[in-house]
Amino acid sequence: MNKIELKNLLFLARLQVKEEDQDKTIEKLQNTFEMIDQMNDLDLDKFEPLNNPLELTNVSRSDEEKNRNKKEEFLKKSPKSDEDYFVVPKIVE
Amino acid sequence: MNFQETRNNFRKKQVSAKELTEESLKKAKEKSELNAFISHFEEYALERASNIDANFDEFKDKPLGGIPIAHKDIFCTDGKKTTCASKMLENFIPPYESTVTKNCNDAGSIMIGKTNMDEFAMGSSNETSFFGPVKNPWGQSLVPGGSSGGSAACVAADITTISTGTDTGGSIRQPAALCGITGLKPTYGLVSRWGMIAFCSSMDQAGPLARDAFACSALLNAMASYDEKDSTCSKRESIDYEKGLNKDFGKLKIGILKGIENLGISEEVLNAYESSKKILEQLGHSFVELDFTELSSGICSYYVIAPAECSSNLSRFDGVKYGHRSEAKNISELYLKTRAEGFGDEVQKRILIGSYVLSAGFYDAYYRKAQKVRRMIKSKFDEFFKDVDLVFLPTTLDQAFEMNRESTDPNRMYKEDLLTIPANLAGLPAMSLPNGFSKNLPIGAQFVGNYFSEELLLNTAHKMQEVTDWHKMTP
Amino acid sequence: MAQNDTLVNGWQPVIGLEIHVQLQTNTKLFSPAKNQFGEEANTLVDLIDMGLPGVLPVLNDGAVKQGIAFGLATNAEIAKTMVFDRKNYFYPDLPKGYQITQLHYPIVKNGVVDVEGKQVRIHQAHLEEDAGKSMHDVYDSESVVDLNRSGVPLLEIVSEPDIRSAEEAVKYLKKIHQIITYLDISDGDMSQGSMRCDANVSIMRPDDKEFGIRAEIKNINSFRFVEKAINFEIKRQIKVLESGEKVEQETRLYDSVKDETRSMRTKEFANDYRYFPCPDLVPHEISEDLVKKVKDNLSELPEEKQKRLMETHNLNEYDAGVLCADKSTADFFEEVAKEADAELAAKWIIGDLNALLNKNDISLKESKVNAVNFSKLIQNISNNTISGKIAKDVLDEVWQSGEDVAKIIEGQGMQQISDEGELEKIIDKILAENTSQVEAYKSGKDKLFGFFVGQVMKATQGKANPGLANKLLKNKLG
Repeated sequence: MNKIELKNLLFLARLQVKEEDQDKTIEKLQNTFEMIDQMNDLDLDKFEPLNNPLELTNVSRSDEEKNRNKKEEFLKKSPKSDEDYFVVPKIVE
Repeated sequence: MNFQETRNNFRKKQVSAKELTEESLKKAKEKSELNAFISHFEEYALERASNIDANFDEFKDKPLGGIPIAHKDIFCTDGKKTTCASKMLENFIPPYESTVTKNCNDAGSIMIGKTNMDEFAMGSSNETSFFGPVKNPWGQSLVPGGSSGGSAACVAADITTISTGTDTGGSIRQPAALCGITGLKPTYGLVSRWGMIAFCSSMDQAGPLARDAFACSALLNAMASYDEKDSTCSKRESIDYEKGLNKDFGKLKIGILKGIENLGISEEVLNAYESSKKILEQLGHSFVELDFTELSSGICSYYVIAPAECSSNLSRFDGVKYGHRSEAKNISELYLKTRAEGFGDEVQKRILIGSYVLSAGFYDAYYRKAQKVRRMIKSKFDEFFKDVDLVFLPTTLDQAFEMNRESTDPNRMYKEDLLTIPANLAGLPAMSLPNGFSKNLPIGAQFVGNYFSEELLLNTAHKMQEVTDWHKMTP
Repeated sequence: MAQNDTLVNGWQPVIGLEIHVQLQTNTKLFSPAKNQFGEEANTLVDLIDMGLPGVLPVLNDGAVKQGIAFGLATNAEIAKTMVFDRKNYFYPDLPKGYQITQLHYPIVKNGVVDVEGKQVRIHQAHLEEDAGKSMHDVYDSESVVDLNRSGVPLLEIVSEPDIRSAEEAVKYLKKIHQIITYLDISDGDMSQGSMRCDANVSIMRPDDKEFGIRAEIKNINSFRFVEKAINFEIKRQIKVLESGEKVEQETRLYDSVKDETRSMRTKEFANDYRYFPCPDLVPHEISEDLVKKVKDNLSELPEEKQKRLMETHNLNEYDAGVLCADKSTADFFEEVAKEADAELAAKWIIGDLNALLNKNDISLKESKVNAVNFSKLIQNISNNTISGKIAKDVLDEVWQSGEDVAKIIEGQGMQQISDEGELEKIIDKILAENTSQVEAYKSGKDKLFGFFVGQVMKATQGKANPGLANKLLKNKLG
């Protein structure tokens, strides 16, 4: 992994690493990838991916309303809000 | 301090809930240097205890009636701080209750506080907590294991007789083994994940920690329930695990792994394991050797899937709606600073790994491949359970180790999970119980059962605990 | 691939539309909060919509049924198994930092829609959750977020790039609008955002084997703007290619004030959505039984309604077709025709009312004309209370004020003069005052009849019953 790939990754994850620490971070990540890469020694052709151990299907609910809204409480929990909205720094499109 | 005795005493009105609670709170203060707790709820606990005493008839037959309990700080408790041991949620107060804690409340237990853990459940030593590491009651320079280190230490130090934890890669069983107590990871889908802060959604499972299988069965009775708010929860008829302890499952065929001596397990752990096998033989069970050469591939798969799912699950922590928010001039800065400040190093590392293995171009090579390994491991177990009733193996590679352990192997910590991970990948229930002692430190071993065989697991462990004393040892 | 009648300066435009439709379920896609537009900010937000730690989604089977209905109405394949995926990206109105959508196993695939004889194929339609809304004009240096819309069920309908002109695109969009309103799965209101349209536009030479690079145009919120935006973009791309440059694969926003598309600020790093199956949900198998149940309960589709109106109200195919083009118009007609003459109602709706709607570029729902009132208008024409000419004035008044028809007629004294005696008196006066024209008419200048009619109308402010006036004039003039 090079620094550009790391920067791209940091952007995707919205994380920051100081420039001077980036090489160390790359090293840490690559150590883990080396361990993970041992998967490549396996013959996995006959196995389909497994997403969920129980392989359940068809869980749904009927279209009925349940009111669990607590507007005031939700807004108060936000680091910044007014009486109607969550407030954030200006979003520029 | 024995759960069964304590509960009997409460039921016979020989001790009140208030007295039990006062004692737990006192012990918690005395053992505060263990740093097993993030929050204490003294006032709440005493009030609740009084309430239970005042309504004795309502609670006397409940599985946890009158019993103080500690919950891992990963369960959302309505109106009470829930931090997941992270700066990101340092002051977060959930506006709703998790199903696990609600169930335990309904079963009559008294929450005295929330226990310390590895940040966002990521770790195997409880050293990544924003609130400082938890110390092993058996040696304060030693780790208790993780991520449910606080819950394990709490029980090992007799602060409470029961506590809740979660197990994604071994986080109940491993600390149970390192702290000399009993811990069960139920089948994936037995216990509701509603209100349990998500780390790896397809493997996270809440479970009981206690000294013995009896207490674990009572706690599991309380915790497990079908919950329509969790789409991955299994709809099944409920089982009374406590009653199940008295069943006779007859002579079991127990699987043991071939080549277990080549996995880097310490001599002490192997010796204890061999001794346990003799006890199982004495109890009438027999062994079948199983070939599980692919065992170690579980770590590769786990450290792709868990970071992948967590990188997505932790995206909600953006400083907008709740939790930590850094000062920022624009949205971009808001995200970057909030997340860099709010998350610890290990969490950030796993988010990066997860983002990588899911990214375009790498999805097939990493994530999809890891899911195939997962299928392979599950099918191995499906094969095993055609021939055996349970699989028996050590829980950890070694006993409790020093904090801030140095290692030439950068992946050493991850490899600690070698023996616990396979059950998580396959979603199978697994249970660790103390089975030995050496160098003044406990040792644990685990049973892995087929899907929804908790009754058999608890029963087998219980029968073993009837003829051994390891679970009774206290620091 | 080329369609000669749609070439622009020798270039073949190629267009695909992505239409997001808000489904009209009671509750949201994965949370039990009410699915409702226009409520006070942040009051329709459930724990799940907040993306709080520890919350979990549960699928609303009402949304599944509505998706199946769309698949049936477009002759599409309904998935035997559908899977929900996470699309990961950061935005303040996306509470979880990911959107639950369907990438590989959508609910509906391979549909087709007939657009005035041309088949436009639907690649897929999938279910996904809507995001909240962020607003930037409440504060100077801050934006605000309202999560009411977060979690509302969307059906995203993705067409194949089968469309060849802006005009065709609008027709396709209108056809989709017709289908979803007839199925009663959405009100398709572009101004409220319950139907949103993005256009993928590219151009190619007619004999090229491959499509050109396409640009995606967002932020188009009316049928009219769809046509304008696409036309602008086609011309822009032609200019780009003809100057030797390449078309950028990018997202552009349509500016309806300047009537142009503008490139969105390109980010330094591309957004990789890192799709993977959502581990909090399980695959959903759609049984043949369920599909049959939805089919049996399907609302009347446009073609069926058209046939029924023709049979019940004796309308011709063309008129019935025009009335049924838009469900709200068809419903309006049926309501009107309950009490009023159907043929006359049809004529007036297709003619005068439609003209008003088009001229003012608003929908029937947005206008002040309601069915009961309109029905009264038609009835008043049928029973000769007012003439057709006066009726036009009454309609204008209703359009302006929404006032009750009876009140308008009464208040402005617009009742037709149908009293023979009264009209005779007026006619006699006119004939007496215009003797030279009478002479001219009687000596053969037949065209002067119109003059007399005009005079009668003038004298009665247009209120003379035309039929009666004609009859009386004929009698008197001979």
